[in-house]
Amino acid sequence: MATLQLKNLTKRFGKKVVAVKGINLEVHDGEYLVLLGPSGCGKTTTLRMIAGLEEVTDGEIILDGVDITDLPPRKRDISMVFQSYAVWPHMTVYDNIAFALRLKKMNRSEIDRTVREVAGMTKIAEFLDRYPFQLSGGQRQRVAVARAIAVKPKLFLMDEPLSNLDAKLRVATRTELKAIHHKTHATTVFVTHDQSEAMSIADRIVIMKDGEIMQIGTPEEVYDQSASIFVADFIGTPPTNFLDVELVREGETLYLVNPHIKLPLSAENAARLRGYDKRELVLGIRPENILLTSADEADLSAACLVAEPQGSHQVVAVELDDKLLKIVAPARPKVRSGETVHLTFKQESLRFFDRESGARI
Amino acid sequence: MTKKTRRNIYRTARLTAFYIFVSGVTIAMLLPLYFIVSLSFLSTREAYRYPLPLLPALNVEYKLTHGERGYLLSVYDPIDKEYQTVLDTGDLEKMSVYMKSQLGAPMSVPEIEQQIARLEHEAPVFFTRRKSLLYNYETFFKVAGTGQAVPALIRSLEICAMTIAISLTIGGMAGYAFARYTFRGRDALKFSVLFVRMFPGVAIAMPMVIILVNMGFYDAPIGLSLVYSVGSIALTIWITASIFMGIPVSLEEAAQVFGATKIQAFLRVTLPLSLPGLAACAMYAFLGAWNETVAAIILTQFNPTFSVVVYQTVLGAVGQVNLAAAGGMVMALPAVIFTFFIRRYIHQMWGGVTV
Ligand SMILES: Nc1ncnc2c1ncn2[C@@H]1O[C@H](COP(=O)(O)OP(=O)(O)O)[C@@H](O)[C@H]1O
Ligand SMILES: [Mg+2]
Repeated sequence: MATLQLKNLTKRFGKKVVAVKGINLEVHDGEYLVLLGPSGCGKTTTLRMIAGLEEVTDGEIILDGVDITDLPPRKRDISMVFQSYAVWPHMTVYDNIAFALRLKKMNRSEIDRTVREVAGMTKIAEFLDRYPFQLSGGQRQRVAVARAIAVKPKLFLMDEPLSNLDAKLRVATRTELKAIHHKTHATTVFVTHDQSEAMSIADRIVIMKDGEIMQIGTPEEVYDQSASIFVADFIGTPPTNFLDVELVREGETLYLVNPHIKLPLSAENAARLRGYDKRELVLGIRPENILLTSADEADLSAACLVAEPQGSHQVVAVELDDKLLKIVAPARPKVRSGETVHLTFKQESLRFFDRESGARI
Repeated sequence: MTKKTRRNIYRTARLTAFYIFVSGVTIAMLLPLYFIVSLSFLSTREAYRYPLPLLPALNVEYKLTHGERGYLLSVYDPIDKEYQTVLDTGDLEKMSVYMKSQLGAPMSVPEIEQQIARLEHEAPVFFTRRKSLLYNYETFFKVAGTGQAVPALIRSLEICAMTIAISLTIGGMAGYAFARYTFRGRDALKFSVLFVRMFPGVAIAMPMVIILVNMGFYDAPIGLSLVYSVGSIALTIWITASIFMGIPVSLEEAAQVFGATKIQAFLRVTLPLSLPGLAACAMYAFLGAWNETVAAIILTQFNPTFSVVVYQTVLGAVGQVNLAAAGGMVMALPAVIFTFFIRRYIHQMWGGVTV
């Protein structure tokens, strides 16, 4: 139970590499916060600084009001699940879990009770006497989780704990991790590069790029109200469609124009763009917000390049110049490739971005 | 002949050739070992007869008759299957010594006199004595440097222990640093530690003597173990560096996160995981220090090591190849025992735990 604050946290490796560029962040009590970003964006480095495994170049880390920036890892009251699990190969599962408790000088019966409790929670009770090499990858991952929750830390850190599992197990395990969180309510910082993983477990998502925070928000916020082209592109599969358009006024109506499309804007959208002084911008629209419609209501008509049936829906791709526009459409009627599709854009789901900065307008 | 049988024949031939090769190599390695073991149990007479007996005799069958100069002593030769005369003397003292030193089946003078008394009634007389198999070993310890063998043995073990301790602590720490930290000139430095092994010991013997005398370590176990450590530290660094590199840093980091200090993390995680490598280093250091003779001869005076004592005894035992063999065996045995124990340990660790 704790809150964590990062103030202007910076990490430099040598002179040139700045892995984390002065990030500010607050993690609320009991929150499941996910650090999300492409690989190399500084997620691991941030997590390791919080853990005390990486020296902080600049800034502060404050846990429950206490500045822990310069404390060694053991004094921080945190625990961590490593990407490689880092379970100790020369100790049994039991000893792995009991390691921290013994160092805390907990008495034997209490250690035993705690070990069995967390082993039950993570479903490894029958493996307590085994060595890690006698376990599968998934079981080893559970040992790492059990070891981390046994110490009842203020803060729980996880560095891509699911990335070494196969796809099916990964999905099952993330549900379990969330369920464990519902029981422990431990404040958690979870690192991943997988946006669907982040969307499915996070209370809030922090999206990072090149050592900087791009956006912080709930999964719904970062999905619906993406702060930049980068975020809108990174979140969601298939990602947001982007069209370079020009803003044209004809009489009272504002139009978004490019060689393929001339899209009149609704009053709200027009109001949003009123203060914008440039003519060129980027239109972003999520694939499920482009609807198939009849020829006379279409904003755009084009030949279908491919249609990928997904069971519950189908993904239709049309080619505009050399860019693909993807549409998530109902499974029926089935669209055939080569067929002309008529598309209309949901006005309330149009998002506008500055072409230079990529920021949302 | 079908294709299948031809393939079978080919495979059988290949397998046979392989086994012949393997047994050849095995024999080539085991045969010298067998001979030195067997030789160390032979009496001098057995050791110098031709062909050499494959196994030492357990008993000596004597035959005694009257001879030209006194009494004629013959012994039964199990290979030629006949009694062969070995001595013609009236000096019973001499006969007793001969029985002991050449035949390995000693009899005291009164015992010989008893047998001579029997000659009155019957000639020749036959009698059998149990051979003392360990005679060569006893002699070795008696002869070697007039009672120096046991103290030298203890001294050698002491030197080995110190060499292991010094090279494991210094070499292990350096290996850890090479494995875990990046610093300027690391690779060059790591490579350069091998330079100390380039010089033959004899070439730098004089400077070593002078330095050790100045340090007050000449003719002392600590002096020798320092000299031996120089060589084994270099190898220890290389072995432990690669072992430590193979142990993920995250294991240590995890220990730190879960409440351990840096030292505790090392002692509880990295050290146990690196034990097989350290054991290998210990073995190497032991064997190096135990077997080394040249530097030991130069750097000791009144306190020789065991290898020096063996060396001197072997030199002194001209014409007694069986005694030399016994010395060799005594020399080899501790090394074999040590290797055996530590090897089992290495195997156990590597078999049971994978990092
Ligand atoms: N020990 C290090 N030395 C030098 N550069 C490093 C080190 N660790 C990480 N980096 C660099 O810092 C950046 C961020 O790395 P990291 O935090 O591991 O990214 P992520 O976990 O998001 O994939 C990367 O460009 C990486 O190359
Ligand atoms: Mg990472």
